[in-house]
Amino acid sequence: MKDAYNIILSGVGGQGLMLLSSVFGEVCAKTGTHIVTGEQHGLSQRSGSISVHLRIGADALSPLIAYGEADLAIAMEATEALRYLEYLREGAPIVMSSRVIHPPLETAALVDAGAADHDYFALADIMERLRGVTTSIVALDALALAEKAGTARAENVVLLGAACGVKGFPLKADDAREAVERIVPPKTVEANRAAFDMGFDACCAAFEE
Amino acid sequence: MGFSELVDTKPKTAYMLANEAVARALLEADVKVAAFYPGSPTSEILDTMGAFAPSFDDLVVEVAANEKVAFETAAGASFAGVRSFTSMKSVGLNVASDAFYSIGYTGVRGGMVLLIADDPHAHSSQSEQDGRFFAFPAHVPMLEPATAQEAHDMVAYAYELSERYGMVVMIRTTTRVNHQSSLVSVGQVKRSPRSRHPWKDVRAPYFTLSATARKLKGERLASLALMQRDAAECPFTTVSEGEGDIGIITSGVSYLYTIESLQTLGISPSVLKLGMTHPLPTATIAAFLQGKRTVVVVEELMPYLEREVRSIAQETAPHVHILGKMSGDFPYVGEYSIPVVVQGLSSALGIDGAPPYEAHRVKVEALKEGIPHRSPIFCPGCPHRATLWSVYMALKGTDYVLNNDIGCYSMYLMEPYNSSDSLLCMGASLGVSSGMQHVLSDQVVAFVGDSTFFHAALPGLVNAVHNNHNLLLVIFNNSVTAMTGQQPNPGSDFGPLPVTRLNIEQVVRGIGVEHVYPVDTFDPKGNIPIIKEALAHTGVRVVISNGPCALYNDRLRRKAGTPIVPNAVDHGVCDAIYACVRKVHCPAIQLDEATKKSVIQADLCNGCNVCAKMCPVGAINPRGGDGA
Ligand SMILES: Cc1ncc(C[n+]2csc(CCOP(=O)(O)OP(=O)(O)O)c2C)c(N)n1
Repeated sequence: MKDAYNIILSGVGGQGLMLLSSVFGEVCAKTGTHIVTGEQHGLSQRSGSISVHLRIGADALSPLIAYGEADLAIAMEATEALRYLEYLREGAPIVMSSRVIHPPLETAALVDAGAADHDYFALADIMERLRGVTTSIVALDALALAEKAGTARAENVVLLGAACGVKGFPLKADDAREAVERIVPPKTVEANRAAFDMGFDACCAAFEE
Repeated sequence: MGFSELVDTKPKTAYMLANEAVARALLEADVKVAAFYPGSPTSEILDTMGAFAPSFDDLVVEVAANEKVAFETAAGASFAGVRSFTSMKSVGLNVASDAFYSIGYTGVRGGMVLLIADDPHAHSSQSEQDGRFFAFPAHVPMLEPATAQEAHDMVAYAYELSERYGMVVMIRTTTRVNHQSSLVSVGQVKRSPRSRHPWKDVRAPYFTLSATARKLKGERLASLALMQRDAAECPFTTVSEGEGDIGIITSGVSYLYTIESLQTLGISPSVLKLGMTHPLPTATIAAFLQGKRTVVVVEELMPYLEREVRSIAQETAPHVHILGKMSGDFPYVGEYSIPVVVQGLSSALGIDGAPPYEAHRVKVEALKEGIPHRSPIFCPGCPHRATLWSVYMALKGTDYVLNNDIGCYSMYLMEPYNSSDSLLCMGASLGVSSGMQHVLSDQVVAFVGDSTFFHAALPGLVNAVHNNHNLLLVIFNNSVTAMTGQQPNPGSDFGPLPVTRLNIEQVVRGIGVEHVYPVDTFDPKGNIPIIKEALAHTGVRVVISNGPCALYNDRLRRKAGTPIVPNAVDHGVCDAIYACVRKVHCPAIQLDEATKKSVIQADLCNGCNVCAKMCPVGAINPRGGDGA
């Protein structure tokens, strides 16, 4: 058995994917666990589609995950969960936000086609398609939970907390929470801790159902 | 890794981006002068070094006007006796290559290292240029790391080599090396003081011409021949003996894909991983070929290693089959990954057992049918959106040709605009426009950003004015080099160390342009008649659109404690005209699924007010129209 746990992280530019990557790094540095990532920097515009390939374990060498070999997908936005679905292993879990951020070109096309009698590519449609690869899906309104925790910017931390509730997840929840507290701006530690716990609890509850 | 940890001088093992690891290694190597022009995937080396600069008073870090100047700055510092560094993206070396080829002759004094990064897949570049081909004709040694740790460790090795032979050394990376994060063990930082000394202490000739050129070329080639020993003993070159008569030769990130692919396929051939790829260790490769039936070369981009290995095989082991791209087993286009390498090895070696990567991908592709694209688009609050709209409106009804340039505004060539006729490389919009205005009857329009203006467009403008050309230049002055991460440029008022800000309007007038029109980017409607007036004149005309990059402006506002006030749509006033959708294309605006009226997502809105200015019924304002 190969010692490698592969996570495909995705979202929309500006949602704080890189912070998640650093949390994984911090925890692995503390525990001396091998980690390698393939990140997207470069075009720095906000609002583009972005992904991070994150691999943990002694056999994880390549910075990219092979198709069908991700053990977990974490998606900050629903369309992006679908966009990188080819990386996910059949039946592997997805922890995702139910938020759909419609790209401006989709909105423009909708308006051109006649907004009154056309609809967006909707969440229900996305979920239906995701189920073509896995039924193990935890979809949370991460933005609402983050706002409840005290800051919309903790959307990413809600999902990290949720990921820690997934069976087989390679980081201990306490280690991840502690790393978040170290990395986020001091003024937002409280809100981020709350966001983390809300995500964790919501995920555990979803799996119990 | 957090900056405080990176800058802390003690040895440690920590999580960092390969580009951060390189910057850390530069500190450890006591590099004194580093000059850069940004370019993906190397920009974070600049960013990290720039952040270091205020903490070490012996360290000079500069953002140069372009790569050639950056390279020459590093060269001058090295001639004067200290260690120096520059890094650039693949195409950056095209700009710096004039100096690069000469320094291949003159050599250097203080260790000088150049890092260039290729971008297989052209993730953020205009081409899949293969920079390895620079090393051979320039007589410059080249190293290639595979991991963040190697990227760190190679820096010290490169400086040693550079000083031992008095030659510049090139470290060549690819995007998947630069943008890899992992745990990296770094060493102690011990800086020496930087004091000035007289030229006579270090004086040596650094010129190359005619007879000197022929003499120097001979000396460099002799040094490279001596360096065969280093290539053979290079600590980053490894041979792992495997089973059977099959071998694999690889380097860089392809090595990582290869190792995992072999595990996946359940085979264990011998693997030669090359850490130095110019000069190639001829004897090591020849020895590796001995007794093999087949040797597969795994490398991205062009068959650089494959051709060399073929020629070594021809001399020393003519019966060995050399397979790779030239045999049709591996692709020339795009980047490698485990599936690509598994497929290539399966094809080359005629073996089965590859996982069904492709079947899985095809199945998921079908599930993704109809998924909306999220192509790169201007950020909420981006000044380019408004400028482009004004220019578009002013040009409406005329015949025109539009030559674009390199920067965020390049996106004018993509959906939903599809409005550019050419885009070659930095600064080319001017030269191309100059050529066109000799031939075409249309309005000839050139675009350029502030950073690109200083980088390579200045000679084009000088040329257009001198030769009495007839064109309109639009300069997008957003205060920073936005696309690569908002680094400063000569028009910025900040830098890693104190700088002098150049005023673009003064520069343009100084060159002799008479018709200069500075405009406020965020007044899209008011700018239309001004641009029309510019179009009505003949000769060289310049519109300068002034408005800060949104991401940079966010940083400024955050620092100043100025709140970002998002807009909202008053649905009582909104008439579903959709001007905010059709004219603005802002990521913060979408339709409410029930009412089908526009809504602005508060956490994405930047408060630039361009949509509010476009709305014909005044339904948009910061309080959603409640009487504000
Ligand atoms: C020779 C070369 N160097 C660097 C780059 C990388 N690069 C791409 S876009 C860009 C920014 C240009 O800045 P500017 O013209 O001010 O436009 P902005 O992105 O700010 O809109 C740079 C440096 C390149 N493509 N070619």
